[in-house]
Amino acid sequence: MGAWEILLIIACAGIVIAVSVTSIIKKKQGKHDCDCGGDCAHCSACQSATKKK
Amino acid sequence: MKRFALAGNPNCGKTTLFNSLTGSTAHVGNWPGVTVDKRDGVYKKCAEPISIVDLPGIYSLSPYTPEEVIARNYVLDEKPDCVINIVDATNLERNLYLTTQLLEIDVPMVVALNMIDAVEKVGDKIDEKALENKLGVPVVKISALKEKGLKELMDKAYNESRKKRVGVTVLKDSPLAHVIGDVKIALEGQNVANPLFHAVKLVENDEIEVKMHKETVGMVSAFKKTFNDDIFGNDFEAMVADARYKYISKNFAPVVTHKNKEKFKTSASDKADKILTHKVWGIPIFLVVLFLIFHLTFSENLFLLNGFGDGWMPSLSDNEAFLEKDDDGNVVYEDNLDYYMTEDGDYLTVGSEGVTDNGNGTYSIEGEDGEFVADDEGRLGSRVPVLNYGGRWLATIYDGTIYSPGVVVNNIWNDMIVGEIAGRIQEAVDGSEMSDWAKGLINNGIIDGITSVLSFLPPILVLFLFFSILEDSGYMARIAFILDRMFRKFGLSGRAFLPMIMGFGCSVPAMINTRTLADEKERTATVRVIPFFSCGAKLPILTAVAGALVIGTGISADLITYSMYLLGIITAIVSVLLMRSTSLKGETPPFIMELPAYHAPQFKNLMAHLWDKTKHFVKKAFTIILASTIVIWFLTHFDFQWHILADEKINESILAKISMLVQPIFTPVGFGSQLGEYGWVFVLAAVSGLIAKENVISTFGTLAACLIANPAVAAEIGLANITSEAGIGAVKAMILATGISVPGLLAFIAFNMTTIPCFAAVGTAKAELQDKKRYKWTLLFWVATSYIVSAMVYTIGSWWWTAFIWAAVVAAVAVVIVMRNKKLAAKQNVLA
Repeated sequence: MGAWEILLIIACAGIVIAVSVTSIIKKKQGKHDCDCGGDCAHCSACQSATKKK
Repeated sequence: MKRFALAGNPNCGKTTLFNSLTGSTAHVGNWPGVTVDKRDGVYKKCAEPISIVDLPGIYSLSPYTPEEVIARNYVLDEKPDCVINIVDATNLERNLYLTTQLLEIDVPMVVALNMIDAVEKVGDKIDEKALENKLGVPVVKISALKEKGLKELMDKAYNESRKKRVGVTVLKDSPLAHVIGDVKIALEGQNVANPLFHAVKLVENDEIEVKMHKETVGMVSAFKKTFNDDIFGNDFEAMVADARYKYISKNFAPVVTHKNKEKFKTSASDKADKILTHKVWGIPIFLVVLFLIFHLTFSENLFLLNGFGDGWMPSLSDNEAFLEKDDDGNVVYEDNLDYYMTEDGDYLTVGSEGVTDNGNGTYSIEGEDGEFVADDEGRLGSRVPVLNYGGRWLATIYDGTIYSPGVVVNNIWNDMIVGEIAGRIQEAVDGSEMSDWAKGLINNGIIDGITSVLSFLPPILVLFLFFSILEDSGYMARIAFILDRMFRKFGLSGRAFLPMIMGFGCSVPAMINTRTLADEKERTATVRVIPFFSCGAKLPILTAVAGALVIGTGISADLITYSMYLLGIITAIVSVLLMRSTSLKGETPPFIMELPAYHAPQFKNLMAHLWDKTKHFVKKAFTIILASTIVIWFLTHFDFQWHILADEKINESILAKISMLVQPIFTPVGFGSQLGEYGWVFVLAAVSGLIAKENVISTFGTLAACLIANPAVAAEIGLANITSEAGIGAVKAMILATGISVPGLLAFIAFNMTTIPCFAAVGTAKAELQDKKRYKWTLLFWVATSYIVSAMVYTIGSWWWTAFIWAAVVAAVAVVIVMRNKKLAAKQNVLA
């Protein structure tokens, strides 16, 4: 297995872990994954993110 | 930081003003009740940054709706530095009712006369100085839509915020003034903040005030006993409201000068409403408008200009000016072959009867026009001339037929942008020295998975744009009004239709908007049916599968997508009818809504929404969809012993085995055990869609690319002819290659449209229903509905006579419900 293949595996694992961990953290903060499609005014997730900022 | 609150009646332009002041892109809808919670932003053009809080639209400060409670509590408890009361200048007297209540609170206040441009357009005039003198607070004429007068408004609000203001009441000359004055003095003695406001509310017998000032209620009642009105008796709330309106009519009506003295002149909106909200034609017009939207988004034969069938318009490949030529001036043909098959389903080869070798590498087939070429195994296929660059651009708009605007945008995006970029990356990866599995992971797993989802951005945006135009113009509010008549029979008010419309965009905000429904049972029923209104994320499933259906049946894509949307709506209506007649039985609340005036959609607003939609879609594609495609690629390329599998062996992979195990469950709905070797992909796609609906197509994209990448597998399942056609073309071909029937495909769409929505929507439903038991029933309801609806679609599509069996079942269920309800009613009568 070459360097490219190792890098690819690390990158893939990184992406999957990062997305999963972010989801878990958001959920722990009481903010589920936002899926409002830009309609932030009605989205509880977006609203709570704005408040936190 | 100073805080200014925006308060006003529903649909008076608060959110438009909020967006203009803060640069936000909060959702603006041309109907009352779009904002259900407060939100904030920052205005930076004053001497110091100012926090702007947009409150939900309210008609009064009485706690009748959750929005009124939110707005009232904010102004009283959070004590903003200034309240900007937005008043719809076209409806001055009615809007001032709230103003008279806000004036009673000890808070600096400015009145913004919004939509003044609309007033001046019809030649009317409002004397703002006279209004200012009567109200005792500054009045500024503004147009939030055209961003006029905003600076003056904010400057005045800023100046006011530095002063102290004590509440005043317009009831001082009314017969109630004495009672209110006495209560106010009593509250002042108790050091209650905003004594005047609380005094008026206590006199009104406001339920919040009664709970808050229990010790004062007895004294107020004693005061009230000394007072009785001939008309209103002891209804003090009605007395206060009457006194306010009398004051408004007497004092504020003169500040408006009408150009046309005719009081009930028919406006342009009224004239349009005579047609669009007609009691007979209203719904058919809506259905035509809806079809037109789908036609303009998906049709490859705009307005049927090319006629039916093969049509009369010439193809671009018939004209040499648009064809790619080599150095010798010969037309260049594409390598990928569209294989010629006999009626028996066999490939025609060079040695077959009726095939003539032309000697120049091409062949002729008896009875067929044009020349054919052979592949390495001698199979004949038609040659496709390659279009030159100009021809390819032209082909995005026209190629033997004129495309609809949605298809044009789609072609430009997919053929000229995404396809080009993805193709170049894939070429570079193919030319690298990486091992085959790594190339497969990048090209088939990641790139094809992501591009198959990204390819649907154009139809989503075009459809969203059309819906936004309908919403912004005020037509959607009329639809709620028209549908109220129909929905009411099913146990829902027209108000419930407004969150359902939002469900076409995304179920999450739609479910949150159900907070505007006062009746809990009606709200639960609405939350449950919202996912049936196909959201943007489900559109890729519809479009991709419709594409396969177009190949399989020849029916136009716009008609298929339109029918599927209608199926969702019908499923919602039937479900509501069932719920409201059984578990969620109850009175249908009255539906009273002020119809907004029609106005031209605001370009800036529409573009801001489209940009937000694009941003979120792309973000999602490169996070959750990307991670899902990686996981799916790995789990379809490893077996349970963790051995890596080649593409032709994905049938032995972990996901394939698990999917095959579950596959029989889906046999009654058309995509189970009756499918061929690779039929399990439907099960996998449907399950992956539970994370995000776009995953259905990205899963198809990844698997199709894996299968096509291997010539042996591709040839075996009939995909060999699309070896060079990546992305969604491969997905359509793979769908057909699984041997699924047309009813099976329709059932697959129906299943995905009505089953449990994505994680985010499920989370929102859980939060909004606020009851664990109800939430669990909701999950079960979604699973059961999707299974029943897709089984119905599949069986009726496969064996038409089963329609009678289904009809009998539906009739039996209806009879049982009616009998049960009669029995319950009789029981209640006996008890009564």
